[in-house]
Amino acid sequence: MTHSILLTGVTGMVGQALLPLLARRTDVDKIFTLVRGTGHQVCSNKIVLVTGDITASTDLGISAPVSRDVLDRVTVIIHAAADTRFAAPLDEARAVNVDGTRNVLVFASRCPRLKAFAALGTVHVAGKRTETIDEDDLTHTAGFVNSYEQSKYEAEILLREQMLDLPISVLRLSTVLGDSRTGEVGKLAAIQHALRLCYNSLAPMIPGTPDSAVDLIALDYAAAAVEHLATDGFQAGRTLHVCGGKDALTLTELLERTRELFLQYRPSWRKRAIEMPAIVDLPTFELFARSVEEVGDNLLRSSMALIKHFAPQLAYPKMFGDAKCAESLLAAGIVKPEVLEFYPKVVRWLVETGWGEHKIQAGIPAEAMASD
Amino acid sequence: MDVGISETEYILGSDAVSVEELEAHGLLDTPASRLREFGFSCARLSRVPSYVLATAAAKKLLKTSGIDAASVNAIFYAGATPESHAVGTDHPLSAFNYPVAQLQYELELTRAIAFGVSQAGCLGMMASVALAHDFLRAHESASRVLCVSSDVLPAGCMREMIYNVISDGACAALVEKNCTNNRICAYRQITKGYYWNAIARKNEIAAAYFPTARTIIRDTLADAHIDFSKVACILPHNVSLRSWEILLGLLQVDREKLFADNIRTIAHVIAADNWINLKDATDAGRLRQGDKLLMFTFGFGANWACMVLEH
Repeated sequence: MTHSILLTGVTGMVGQALLPLLARRTDVDKIFTLVRGTGHQVCSNKIVLVTGDITASTDLGISAPVSRDVLDRVTVIIHAAADTRFAAPLDEARAVNVDGTRNVLVFASRCPRLKAFAALGTVHVAGKRTETIDEDDLTHTAGFVNSYEQSKYEAEILLREQMLDLPISVLRLSTVLGDSRTGEVGKLAAIQHALRLCYNSLAPMIPGTPDSAVDLIALDYAAAAVEHLATDGFQAGRTLHVCGGKDALTLTELLERTRELFLQYRPSWRKRAIEMPAIVDLPTFELFARSVEEVGDNLLRSSMALIKHFAPQLAYPKMFGDAKCAESLLAAGIVKPEVLEFYPKVVRWLVETGWGEHKIQAGIPAEAMASD
Repeated sequence: MDVGISETEYILGSDAVSVEELEAHGLLDTPASRLREFGFSCARLSRVPSYVLATAAAKKLLKTSGIDAASVNAIFYAGATPESHAVGTDHPLSAFNYPVAQLQYELELTRAIAFGVSQAGCLGMMASVALAHDFLRAHESASRVLCVSSDVLPAGCMREMIYNVISDGACAALVEKNCTNNRICAYRQITKGYYWNAIARKNEIAAAYFPTARTIIRDTLADAHIDFSKVACILPHNVSLRSWEILLGLLQVDREKLFADNIRTIAHVIAADNWINLKDATDAGRLRQGDKLLMFTFGFGANWACMVLEH
């Protein structure tokens, strides 16, 4: 069977890693990549950049002739576009993550050849729930740490509702760190920024418990998993956790390992004698964050702003069950890299490239980057 | 051999000036209303130089203790600012006019050798007491050390440092051999030179303060073979009550253990806070014999210090 794929969110961290995997497949004849702010471009015999915006309308802002071509051909939709900003106002997060998803679902309903709709989600739709979260779990009343979690949860409700009518599978990713082979981070996200704050002595404390699990996955693993689960391994009606699961490090282990790696990869860092962040309860963290907001300098304020919108998740310790996903990926020969193996490579890459500042960026249009 | 602190005394700047008045004179960075929320109501400003306050505090202590001045074997004179260590004039030789020697003469401490303890910021006094402890243990014939700390900021100087209101004042402590009162059980100090430039590293210092404080407090308690359940009272340095609330949360310690009475009324008296609080907590009947007391302080430089005493 030959696939024609519509990929949203190609400029995001996972989207960037996913595109070449899809492009190399011999059973994929076309990949329409939806991006904002570019003209309609044929990048190769397979990849077509399509100007559009999932928030625009149910035709995704794609011009009529192009839209017709996409609708007629698409067999697989991989919906990876999202507003991943943890600090975004809820209405802005909803505009992309809920309304945008609704638009993509309507668009999908008009694709006569559609066989698979793989929606990328987050394990953190579990919000403030604790203990073990299974792949089938969704609805809860525990609340959310940030607008990203809430809006992605609401998007999943939509997706679940549509599972009766469309071939939908939800792939919930945990925190994607970097490439397991090179350590390279395509696009810095909150966790990489947080590591930089630790390195620069600007992260005094982090909420959580010493045993809070920090679920991290490698970027190449995430991309390979999505590629498989959206194509050969696709099964409609499933929700899968692409996560570290039982391999997750505890917060204490992560901080200690991070300190060791900073010392290993930048020996001169030792002389700074920087303490890693203290693990504190949520009220203490919030009191500090509020104090910094009230009087702190811009640098400290912006540092805390970065941490305070995602780190409180660690104060709601949980594990993610991934039995179904692990079984599917194992059958396909996709092996999950161990976090203790790839985490050092990522930290090394961050330290040695100055968090990517010394790296030559790939030539993706800047305006397209803005949509992820 | 037990070494303890038999007496403490202090003298504050004579003028109590509200944070609103300080704000009106442009001496604060942060609005007075915010500093009130952080636990400060006023600062004590001195009209006399630091040496005068130091002398007054030391005289008061000698009078209270009733000891023979000639029985003091050493004086350690702490001051956070350069002005606290000089009796300066225009003459180049005046750079060697040390207040510690002047104090030794004025108080007739004829057998005392004299040292200044500088460049330790707000933990100069705690470092002096720790040095006195080590001095007494190292010198068989020595029995008493007088520790003095005094700082007066220049007139018109800003009265806020990283969200803390600063007062002028001096304190004196008598450290004695074979003294079971306020016996020194453990002391630790951490110096992190990375933060030596307090202006350039202001944000990093604010961030490093808490995790380093936790580390040194835990380590000092371990040295004293106790945990926080055995600490009866925390005698703080008088930085903002807000920062103490955060630190207590970080340490998971009840607020009731903190002797915070003085933060609002006398603010942060540079290196003297812990010793002022020891005196006032004792006088207020807050402490019982045998109580374990924890002192913690931070000084630019940057230094963190913690001491455990048995009252």
